[in-house]
Amino acid sequence: MAQDDEDRRAWFRREILSLEPDLTAYARQFCRDGQTDPEDLVHETFARAIACRTWREVSNPAAFATRILRNCALDALRRRKVLTITAVADFERIEPMDEAPGAQTVLESREELRALADAIAELPAQCRRAFTLRKVYSLSPEDIAVRMGLSVSTVEKHLVKGLRYCSDKLGRRIGRKNKVDEGRSWSAKRDHDAKR
Amino acid sequence: MERETGSRRETVRQAAALWVVRLDDPSCSDADRAAFQAWRDQSHEHEAAFEREAVAWARLDRLRALRPPGERPDRDLLEPARRSSLPGLSRSPWARGMAAAAVAALVVTGAMSFGTSTAYATAIGERRVVVLSDNSRIELNTNSKVVVRYRNGVREVKLVRGEAVFEAAKDARPFVIRAEGAIIESGNGAEMAVRLGSNGAIVTVRKGAAELDPNPSVGHDEMSLKAGVAAVYSAVGGQARPVSENEIDRALAWRQGAIALNGQSLEQAVAEFNRYNRQQVSITDPSISGLRLAGYFQTTEPKGFVAAVTSAFPVRATESADGTIRLSRRG
Repeated sequence: MAQDDEDRRAWFRREILSLEPDLTAYARQFCRDGQTDPEDLVHETFARAIACRTWREVSNPAAFATRILRNCALDALRRRKVLTITAVADFERIEPMDEAPGAQTVLESREELRALADAIAELPAQCRRAFTLRKVYSLSPEDIAVRMGLSVSTVEKHLVKGLRYCSDKLGRRIGRKNKVDEGRSWSAKRDHDAKR
Repeated sequence: MERETGSRRETVRQAAALWVVRLDDPSCSDADRAAFQAWRDQSHEHEAAFEREAVAWARLDRLRALRPPGERPDRDLLEPARRSSLPGLSRSPWARGMAAAAVAALVVTGAMSFGTSTAYATAIGERRVVVLSDNSRIELNTNSKVVVRYRNGVREVKLVRGEAVFEAAKDARPFVIRAEGAIIESGNGAEMAVRLGSNGAIVTVRKGAAELDPNPSVGHDEMSLKAGVAAVYSAVGGQARPVSENEIDRALAWRQGAIALNGQSLEQAVAEFNRYNRQQVSITDPSISGLRLAGYFQTTEPKGFVAAVTSAFPVRATESADGTIRLSRRG
């Protein structure tokens, strides 16, 4: 039983969690009028996906997760008091996500390292320092507390804050705001927009 | 950095992150582990949130690769100003080459230079990003034009027509936007949108801060604008009001090729669509002008917008000989 649960969680990590940037992008299509938070839809999708006892029979995880997300979006729509004229129309129009994510979510290792360092650099100073000592130098929270003259629980708070910031950042598409990419893919992006 | 701490999602994720940090602490006790098991067993929401934070935590172990050999711990190693000097993070020559090529391509296409100034323009329905030599960015909306002049230690950009978003790169030289006779001095790293109207203009500061002088020839009524403030001004003066992030996002939805409506009247919505399209929409019956709309539409698809309006309201659409779509009351 315990082993089975471990296998199920490993499947979730490997097949479903890695879809997060794509799922978030997909979820945004259901949230165009700003009434629902796309990240809430993804959060709920994860909770429903990990609950799946028959995960071994899921042949296409992307299609599976997309179907759940659609249901979450539909439930959110039903809970609403005010329906905007496009929300329902949008819902009819949005097609299931076609494929498992391709190369675009798999970052080159150097690129990933830079993305992570960028995320840390954006943290407030004390938080960044505690995080650097924990993750770059592998010091324990106690050691960090002594070094920085803080309580262990304050160090924990900094680490939690840093982790929360980074995990959200990793869940979105990395590098999209990159100037080089934007300059280079501008015409492609417009084509993409036009198709939508 | 700030997130809505009140949300249920955030509460669960915070709790999950705390467990991840605790369980990875060498001094984590058996009682702590038991408490974690109990928490995780409470719901699949907890279970999934924990996996998500744990995976991110594990990915962050890659940062160890940045540790300089044999040094004592340096807690400011990842400070923003120092990061670029880290060997593991230097950009590859290929990436640097691409960046230069991208800038060159943007500067060459469709730009007209006269001496020291360069003009960039868009046609109706077009959008465009211009990256300047100092890495400042200008994003032009439909039917817009700017003239850029960098000289005498000043970065000056004049908005001649339409609407644009300006992102001033950090630089010792001031970044000045001229629009409708006013002077807007942008703070370093600031981002703001300026839109010209029939009489005056509106400036919305999204990031950083700016100084607005609506009429420099008259004298001193400068206004300090900070992020989240919009100011409407004309030659006679200006008025600032706070705007929410959502409101700013809606006003700038055109950057994603969209018009975001949130309770605007049909009349306002039609005027907005007409900015982006040669095919114009007109309201022939004043009694429908005040209908309120919400939703998200493609700027270049007036027909989709018209279809949504006619299906939601008692409105009829007819197309006249010159292609104009006329809206009138149905029944």
